[in-house]
This record gives sequence, structure tokens and C-alpha cells, in this order.
Amino acid sequence: MVGFLYQFGDAAAFLVLSACGLAIIFGMMGVINLAHGEFIMGGAYVTATVSKMGAPLPLAILCGALAAGLVGIVLERLVIRHLYHRPLDTIVATWGISLIVSQGTLILLGPSLTDMSTPLGSVTIGELSYSVYRFALMGVAVAILAGLYALFNFTRFGVLARATIQVPHMAESLGVNTRLIYSLTFGIGAALAGATGGLYAPTMSLVPTMGAQFIMEAFVTVVVGGGDVFLGTAPAGVALGFVKALMTTWQGQLAGQIGLLVAVILVIRILPRGISGLILRERA
Amino acid sequence: MSAAIDWRFPVRQILNRLEGPQTLGRGRKFWISAGAVVALAMAYPLVADAYTVGNTIYFFNWVFMAMGLCLIWGYGGALSFGQTAFFGLSGYAYGIVTLNFGAAYGLTLFAMIVAVAASAVVAAVLGYFLFFGRIGGVFLGIVTLAVTLVFERFMAQTAAPEWRIGNARLNGFNGMSGMPPLTIPWHGGDIVLAPDIPLYYVVLGLLVVVYLALRILVNSSFGYVVVAIRENPQRATMLGYDVRKYQLATFVIGAALAGLSGVLYTSWGQYITPSSMGITAAALPIIWVTVGGRGDLTTTVLGTLFLLGTFQALTIYGSQYALVVMGLLLVLTVLLAPNGLVTALAQLPQWLDRRFRKGGVA
Amino acid sequence: MRRLLMMTAAAIAMAVPLAAMAADPIKLGVLEDQSGDFALATIGKVHGIQLAAEEINAAGGIAGRPLELVIYDTQSDNTRYQEFMRRALQRDKVNVVFAGFSSASREAYRPIVKQLDGFAFYNNQYEGGVCDANMIVTGAVPEQQFSTLIPWMIEKFGKKVYTIAADYNFGQISAEWVRNIVKQNGGEMVGEEFIPLGVSQFSSTIQNIQKAKPDVLITLLVGTAQSSYYEQASAANLRVPMGSSVNVGQAYEHKRFKPPSLANMYVTTNWIEEIADPKSKEFVAKWRKKFPNEPYINQEAENSYLAVYLYKQMVERAKGSTKRDDLRAVIAKGDVCFDAPEGKVCIDPKSQHMSHTIYLAKVNDVHSISFPKTWEDVKPYWLGEAGCDLTKKNPSAQYTPSNPPPK
Repeated sequence: MVGFLYQFGDAAAFLVLSACGLAIIFGMMGVINLAHGEFIMGGAYVTATVSKMGAPLPLAILCGALAAGLVGIVLERLVIRHLYHRPLDTIVATWGISLIVSQGTLILLGPSLTDMSTPLGSVTIGELSYSVYRFALMGVAVAILAGLYALFNFTRFGVLARATIQVPHMAESLGVNTRLIYSLTFGIGAALAGATGGLYAPTMSLVPTMGAQFIMEAFVTVVVGGGDVFLGTAPAGVALGFVKALMTTWQGQLAGQIGLLVAVILVIRILPRGISGLILRERA
Repeated sequence: MSAAIDWRFPVRQILNRLEGPQTLGRGRKFWISAGAVVALAMAYPLVADAYTVGNTIYFFNWVFMAMGLCLIWGYGGALSFGQTAFFGLSGYAYGIVTLNFGAAYGLTLFAMIVAVAASAVVAAVLGYFLFFGRIGGVFLGIVTLAVTLVFERFMAQTAAPEWRIGNARLNGFNGMSGMPPLTIPWHGGDIVLAPDIPLYYVVLGLLVVVYLALRILVNSSFGYVVVAIRENPQRATMLGYDVRKYQLATFVIGAALAGLSGVLYTSWGQYITPSSMGITAAALPIIWVTVGGRGDLTTTVLGTLFLLGTFQALTIYGSQYALVVMGLLLVLTVLLAPNGLVTALAQLPQWLDRRFRKGGVA
Repeated sequence: MRRLLMMTAAAIAMAVPLAAMAADPIKLGVLEDQSGDFALATIGKVHGIQLAAEEINAAGGIAGRPLELVIYDTQSDNTRYQEFMRRALQRDKVNVVFAGFSSASREAYRPIVKQLDGFAFYNNQYEGGVCDANMIVTGAVPEQQFSTLIPWMIEKFGKKVYTIAADYNFGQISAEWVRNIVKQNGGEMVGEEFIPLGVSQFSSTIQNIQKAKPDVLITLLVGTAQSSYYEQASAANLRVPMGSSVNVGQAYEHKRFKPPSLANMYVTTNWIEEIADPKSKEFVAKWRKKFPNEPYINQEAENSYLAVYLYKQMVERAKGSTKRDDLRAVIAKGDVCFDAPEGKVCIDPKSQHMSHTIYLAKVNDVHSISFPKTWEDVKPYWLGEAGCDLTKKNPSAQYTPSNPPPK
């Protein structure tokens, strides 16, 4: 029982963390960011490098998130800004960026970085032992969701951001600097992706193509969730994580993956606008 | 004797549809240059070496899938990541049928029809599920992507010997190979269409026929409705059209074209593998169509061929920088030529004219 | 006048050996993934070929002809293998191609090699079973790696074996081999798990292994995503002796992951950088001089290097002919052997696969390597025994233990 709960929490945390950055960029802003994996990779790389220089892990992860966020802001200014009214073109643009970044990393930094070791050791519950860090990841996923909720609902920036995204012309006519808000919001989405990379860096191989391991899960979670990060992505992550853990326990990893994909198809069929289609419908 | 049936009228009606508001290119100049291009293409293998002929056939094979996506997405407005799923499905179907029944008596042609029909049938079922469930926009994209990936994951683990249909082992990730290429039954001896000049003419011919047929389709009343649905589905519904049926029809036609690409590819290389349905492969048709210009058939065809050739040349001569340059090309195209590169080139004369007209405001 | 005559004579004297070297070069096509998912393990292969070519050309080439490399980056993409194999054989008209890392890429290009009557070397370990006269396989095969590893591990650690393998041909067939050899040695399979490629999260797998309590864990994980298993298992404190035929030797996990995640791991490989043999160390020194930034020289890199020399030997023994049938006639004599950095290797005429020296490498707690045991001249016996005889018949097919050649 503990074993299954651990797997469920682990799968849900992975889905939520993969998806939260994309939920902002895609869910809120409508940008289909195929470079999401590269933001994650960038965050992981920066975290690993900073950590190797001696910094403690939380600081390194913060640096990774910050680096990704800054790159995100720059990218938004240069490329994404011009594509808000043509969301489907963001696919091609971000795919191009993804190619540039992953191949560029391979050329500049070689095929891999030395990995980091996982902190916090292990704990034995019953007859199985578990990595404590993975429990920490579950906690961090919840904390990030809570933080985002607080940011977008209780801070001035958050309210302005939601207003700008939902009704940009109104916000502008009320004197909001919409350009800045867009940049910052995109930057936050990118920073969250970078944080995910940093958080998972101690548990994975650090290679330029590592983003690919997150991207499918991120997209399906965001789309199933619909536009809203809290009403959508979180329950989607939990529901899909449950399905995945269940199928994996029952029949193995392949069943888990296929089960996840089939669940996505079914949920969208039943709820064509995702679990919380409101904001996306308004944007359309 | 009362008036004989005038066959010229329907034929002329059909031929009129070759031009219309849904397609770029009209008038004598266009058709003469199109004819010249086809004539050049027909003369090409006589001067090119065997490698170039085989390579050009390889490029042509992909164009059908791109045209299908152009129909579904460019004209119909439905973003589908599922073209590669049908590509793979038909490829495997062709392999299964030919490995079981052989290549004699034109059976490979029968296999081709069966394979394309298989894609059409599966597309009909999937399309029913999608469009009659009112799934649209980016959700459609995700669901079709999920279907493609399920198919890929499933096929990738069929390596064990029990995964076989008759004589044909699915063979998982390593792919199915050894199927006979398309063979035309002929009196003196069957013509095996290996990647060489005869196959080149067959594929070129197919390409021209499909292109013209699609032009007629999109300029017909069917095409008008499809474009109307793309522009405003609610208005189309209120005008009395069942949007879902039209979307389903376009999806099926597009999928059948993707299946045709799959059969031709499998026959060309005598090989089909699940990685033809992976996430990278699924994104490629979207890239080709977007960069070429998804709103029009001609720009899609030209854009796809251009991109395939460019990417290949970059990989050969650009070594490790190839992917970086490709990425840059994509970003710049989207920013500078939002309707596609070829469309931008086609509209260049008008653009230049407007910009530099004397006394005009830039 | 005299000076002019002398200068002309000098020029002619210099031109003669140049003209001799300017004889028709022998073209060797190289189709390897230098970008994309597989680049980590395959960049070294290209370097190995380049090193060998440089040495051979400095020593006068192959039968007096210089060796020219035609290199393509296949981007870890099967369709590129199809495109470039066609290009190398039809346009560049290379005499031989060294190609492929993943089995899928090899199966993608084999029909084209057959269509165009070419000759190719596959220098990678794989699941075994390719019986094709147009291919020479220098990579290690399961019977070489498992018939050595498994009995040793069962004897040392116990009879209960658990396998985790990548869920595709290589993983499934290797797992089949493991199953068979475990049974032959009186062991017991307590579990088998197949993991799709690209999966990087292993909580469920780790729990299953803990529940099964095996004595030996055989890991056949492929790809950088799956290699994350080691770190995650170590973090969950899963400490069971591990055995593998594919990790460490190919993607140098012991250098990329922090200790002690790969501690107590035993790998059968035909060569890795850490081998202490003087000839091997000399090879490593040569390599590092030419490629100082190489992260690791893996077994595939060594295979590629020695394959060039094998080809040289075949051509020279065929009196300079590069025609495939002449080279196969040389191979049929049964004594095409080479003193490679790993030891003596020979090509088996029946299967056109290669014998290997198999080193058992143990990864220690700090990720250094020791070699508890070495087996010399381990032959690729299975294909020949199962009925593949390329000296008599060319089926151009791939077989597996459960799908052997028809009798």
C-alpha cells in the first residue's frame, strides 16, 4: 500500500512538475512551446554546474530556474512576442528553437555532463526502501502549486497578469504595461521549467536531449487540465499520475505509458475543453 | 433523336475546378510554367545519375503526406499530428500483405490499395471519435499525437516471435523488412519498381494526378464548405452544413494520402519501423507544411520538396551545425514569412510592387 | 642550365612517390550518429576510424592505395541511414561502409546494401543473429557476453536472477539469452521487466526488484534516459550485485554517474579504456594524443578501429581487390585475424561475425574498474551452430534463439 502510494505520488509529482511551466506558457498564454524540454535541460545543466562549484542544492536549483527564466524573457522579446495572434505558428518557431538549443548544447558542451548524486539518502518503510529525495519532490510539487496560486491570485502582479492575458486591450487601456507583463509571465513559465530541470537533475542523466523525457508528459497534462493551472493542471497531474501508477503496478512500464496516453484520449473525448476549459475558450 | 448527352459539360466543369479561390495559381502563365516544371521533371532522370533519381523518388514519397496535412489543416483548419500514424499503419499493412502473399500477379498493387484503405478505415473510426465528439483546436492535435505515440510504443515492443500476422513478423523496434517492392505485372516479365527510373515515373505520375485531383476537390463545393468551416464553424453550421461530416471526410482523405506516402516509402526502402511514428517524425509534416505555406496545395508541395532537399543538403555539408541551421531557418521563416516561404516568394512581385511604387507609402 | 636541370630532376623525384600515393584511393564510407540521442556512444566510433585511417595512410595505405573516408552524420535517425547509404554506395561509390549503432538503423540499411550489392561493417554489439553475406559484424553478441557473465555471477552471488531490459529487440532477445543461460546453469529467474525506451523514472521497477529479492540483477538498459535507473536505485538504497552486457562499456555510466551508484556492477565487454594491458594502454595514449577531448573510449570505438585494420588485411590478402566476393573468399579461409588492442580477434567464415576477448569489468565503490577475469578467443558460436553458413548460402536475414534458421 505504501509502495503504491509512493509510486502514485512520484508519478503525479513528475507530471505536475513537468507541466507547471508549460501550463503558464501554454495554458495561460496559448503559446505551444515545443522548446519546453530545452528549458528543463538548461535548468538542469545550470544546476549541475553551480552545484559542482560547491553551492548547496537549493541554491543551485534557484540559479537554474533564474537562468531559464532570463533566457525565457529574452526569447519572448525576440520571437514569441510576434506570435501571440497565431498560436499554431508557435509550434514551428519553438521547434526551431528546440533544435538550436539542443544541438548547440551538444556542440558546445559535449554529449553529457557528469551527473550529480541524489541527496537525502533513503528510508526504509516496511520491507522496501525509498529515496527520501523523491518524497521531497512530491512536497516541492505541492509547494510550487501553492506558490503559483498565491502569486496569481493574491499579488498585484498576478492579478495584472491574468487580466492582461484574458483581456489585453482592456488592461492596456487601464494603463498596464502589457508588454512587460507578457515577458515576465513567460519568464516565470520558463523559470518553472528550469526549476523542474534542476529538481530532477540529481536523479537523471544530464544529456542535451534530456528534455525529451518530459515533454510528452507535460503536454498531455496541460491539455487534459485545460487552461487553468490550479483548476486544471493539478487535478490532471493527480488523475493521470494515478492511472499511470495503477497501470504500471498492474502490468509494467509499457502498460503505464500506453495507459497514460489512452487516458488522455478518453478524457479529452469526454471533456473536449479539458478539465477546466474556461480560459482557453476565452482566448480562442 | 432528342438531345444526345453532352459529355463535354461535366468534363469542362471538372476542369474548371482546377482553378479557383482556394488555390494559388491560375491562368495560362501558371499552367504553362507548371507544365514546364513537369516536363523538366520527366526529362530529369535521363540526365541525372542513379543516386539522384532514387533520392528524388524518396522526396516525392513524402509529398503525399504533406498534401494530406495541407488538406486537413490548411484548408480544414484542424491541426492533426496523426499523419505519421497512418503513414506507419499503411506501411506495415503493405508489408504484412506482401510478405504473406508475395509479389506475383500484381499483388503488390493490391497490397497498396489494401494498405491505403486500411488507413482510410482507421481514420474514419478515429475521426468519428474526434469530430463527432466535437474535439477541436489544439486538443485535436494532442489527441492525434497521443494516438500516434500509442501506436509507436505498441509497435516498438512487438519484437518477440509471437507478434506475427501470417508470415510477417512485426519485429518491434528493429522494423519489418524484406517486403517486395511494388511490382507491375507485365507480359514478358514483371517490372519490379526498385528505386530507379520506372518507379520515378510512376511516383511522379501519381504526384501529378493527386495534385490535380486535390485542386479540383478544394475548388469544388466540397472545398468551399471545408474552408467555410475553417473560417467560422458556427456560421457553417447555421447555414445548414453538418460540420462534423465534412471534417471527417477531409480527415479520411488526408489520412489516405499519408497512407500512400507510407506504402511508397516502405516499398522504396523495403523497410518500415516504429520510429517513423515517433514524436520527431510526427512533427515533421507540420514543419514542412507550415514553412511551405499551409493554405495552399502548390506552396505545400514546393515547400516540402524544398525543405527536404535543404535539410538533407545541410546534413551532408553542414555536419554538426546542420540542426542548428535548420532551427534558425524555421524560426526566421515563422517570423519573416508567416504564410510560408513559398507563399512569400509567390507574393514577392506584389510586395515589391507595393513597396517601391512611386509615390506610394511603404 | 645545370641548376634548371637539377631542379627538374628533383621535382620529378618528388613527384614519383606522390604519383604513387595519388593512385586511386580506397573509399570507406562512415555512417554514424554524430548528433541526436545516440551521439554519446557513437562519436568515438568515428574517431576510431579516423585514427586507424591516419595510421594506415602514414604507413603507405592499403595495398599502396590511400584510404579516404566519406563521413555522414546520420543524426540518430533511421531515414538518414537509408538516404546516406544510398548516397555512399551510388554516388560516392565507396568500396565499403562502416555503419550503424542501433539495430533499427542496421535493419534500415541492410535492404539497401542488398539492393545495391554493397559491403558493410556493423561495428556494434547487438542482439545477434544477422546472417547476411554483405555484412561483417565486429560487435560482440549475446553468447559471447552472457555465456561468460552469467555462470560467473551465479557462482559468486547466488541463483536468483532478475532481469530489467529495454523493451525492444535488443533487450528482449538479450533477456531471452539470459533466461536460457540461467536455466542451463541451475539458476532461477525471479523476475523480468521490460521498460520502453525513453523512460527515465523507475520507482515502480525499483520496488518490484526489492520485493523479488534477487541475488543477481541483470541490467540491459539502453539509452541515456534509461541509465537514470542507476542513480535512482542507489538513492533508494537498492544494493544488489548487477551484471550487464551493455552498460559501462558503451555509454560509460561509471564516469558520468556519481559513486556509488554503479558500485558492485559486473560487465562483460570486449574492451574498455581502463584495461591495464600495455598494448591497450599504448592504444589509449595514441588516441588521447589525437583526440584530447574524448570523454571516453568505449568498446564500439575500439571495434571500429580494429575493423579498419581487418578490412586492410582482407584487401591486401585479396591482392588489392576490393570486390566483395574476393574479400569473402579470403574470409572463407578462416584465418583473417588481427592483433587488436583487446587481443587477438578472428572472423568466423560461417557467420561473418568476430571472436572476442571478453573482459569481466568490476565497477568498484569509487567507480574505478578492476578485472577479476578474462576469457580469450570467445567465438560467436551460435549462428554457425544454429545453421547459418554464409560459405554455402546467403539468407540475408536476422535470426533469434526462438526463431532460428530453418533446418
